[in-house]
Amino acid sequence: MSGTGHTVKSYEEEMQSLNDNLVMMGSLTENQMADAMAAVIKVDKESVDKIVKNDGKINELRSTIDNQITTVLVKRAPMAVDLRITISTMKISHDLERIGDLAKSVAKKVKPLPVDLPDELIGSLRRLGDLVQKQLKDALDAYLNRSKDKAIEIWKKDEQVDDLTNLAMNEVATYLQKDKKNLEMATHLLFVTKNIERAGDHITNIAESLYYLIEGEYLEGARPKGKPVES
Amino acid sequence: MELNNSKIKIKAKNLNVYYGKKQALFDINLDINQKEVTALIGPSGCGKSTFIRCINRMNDVIDICKVEGSVEIDGAEINEKNVDVVTLREKVGMVFQKPNPFPKSIYDNIAYGPIIHGAAENKDQMDNIVETSLKKAALWDEVKDRLNEPGTSLSGGQQQRLCIARALSVNPEVILMDEPCSALDPIATAKIEELIDDLKKSYTIVIVTHSMAQAVRVSQKTGFFHLGKIIEVDSTDKIFKNPANKMTQDYITGRFG
Repeated sequence: MSGTGHTVKSYEEEMQSLNDNLVMMGSLTENQMADAMAAVIKVDKESVDKIVKNDGKINELRSTIDNQITTVLVKRAPMAVDLRITISTMKISHDLERIGDLAKSVAKKVKPLPVDLPDELIGSLRRLGDLVQKQLKDALDAYLNRSKDKAIEIWKKDEQVDDLTNLAMNEVATYLQKDKKNLEMATHLLFVTKNIERAGDHITNIAESLYYLIEGEYLEGARPKGKPVES
Repeated sequence: MELNNSKIKIKAKNLNVYYGKKQALFDINLDINQKEVTALIGPSGCGKSTFIRCINRMNDVIDICKVEGSVEIDGAEINEKNVDVVTLREKVGMVFQKPNPFPKSIYDNIAYGPIIHGAAENKDQMDNIVETSLKKAALWDEVKDRLNEPGTSLSGGQQQRLCIARALSVNPEVILMDEPCSALDPIATAKIEELIDDLKKSYTIVIVTHSMAQAVRVSQKTGFFHLGKIIEVDSTDKIFKNPANKMTQDYITGRFG
């Protein structure tokens, strides 16, 4: 008994390819999120089209992974850890694709924004974006290292994402109250904020899938929730 | 190794089996629950067939075979000298890898056991046993009009169900199955698996199988054997989704040698 790779080499190669594609997808999603956040903070309208276009690559990879998983299921009837890898990879790839979509939506909101976005609106949004990007990076690292502890840490940290979201939304609401003419800009920024928060939720899903992959059990208990918005 | 509150039907304790100088089983401790299907998996030569042959003392017929330790059925030791093996095998039926009907009619294949055990007083009673057994084995509708034809004229899958009906004809409590579907096509296999699912309501079943998928489909509990030792026993769900032992995981995921 080798205790390492599959006896059937082609099975080993199929699982490796699945892993490689997921890592690639993770890396592209990370870049998209970073680019989308940079576009918002700098109100860089020129980068928007490129970000929108790049989302297609993530979607393609998800289709590839879906097809690979179907093949593995039908050919190999995976068991135990292979079964858990297969199921988790499918779920994680879907979450990454959604994060990619949300990054694209964030980028699209940049075009109607005024170039001179007031600093008071950007502070919390920037911190929220930084945190979500860090969460995504940590989730992908945890996947590579099969780190259960890191998965739990990410899962718990979503509370901070919720708190920062609430803060950022409050700032926009306060700004809007000063002058109703800010309505259109405020609406776009609220969508941006909400989309980033939803990306955070998908990262929490990834942490849950990863935990299941490693432990063969589901993370128990209710998801951590941030404080509700104060009005 | 008991998983829940199910009643233990068969209890193997410190079971060691030798074929001459070669030890085939090492200190096996295994509980088999009543009216459940227990699957035994493991590579060829790991001892799973040797183990099930200990449950109805089939190893007695091998001169060089020596069995040490204990096997209890309903708390009674079956290796005691005063245990009548014919009665034991009436209680613990067996179905083998290759269907092995007697070279007799379908009817006589079923009637053979009850005749030996004096289970029927007249033709009507025997007819009843034959019909009931064939119905329980989901074969009656296919053979009721040709009971006098040879058992060997049936298809492989039908022959295997005939062998199951034959085992059922003497009212066993336990049915041992040693790779019962390995010689059958997928449709015949599906019929046997359907039958196993039905039979577990009334019987305790132990099945040796090389098909992981079959173990998952038919059993509630699975034991993994390797080199004559039992490596892991747990619920089938746990074994195939998240086994505790690395050797089990390597075996069921195809990472073995």
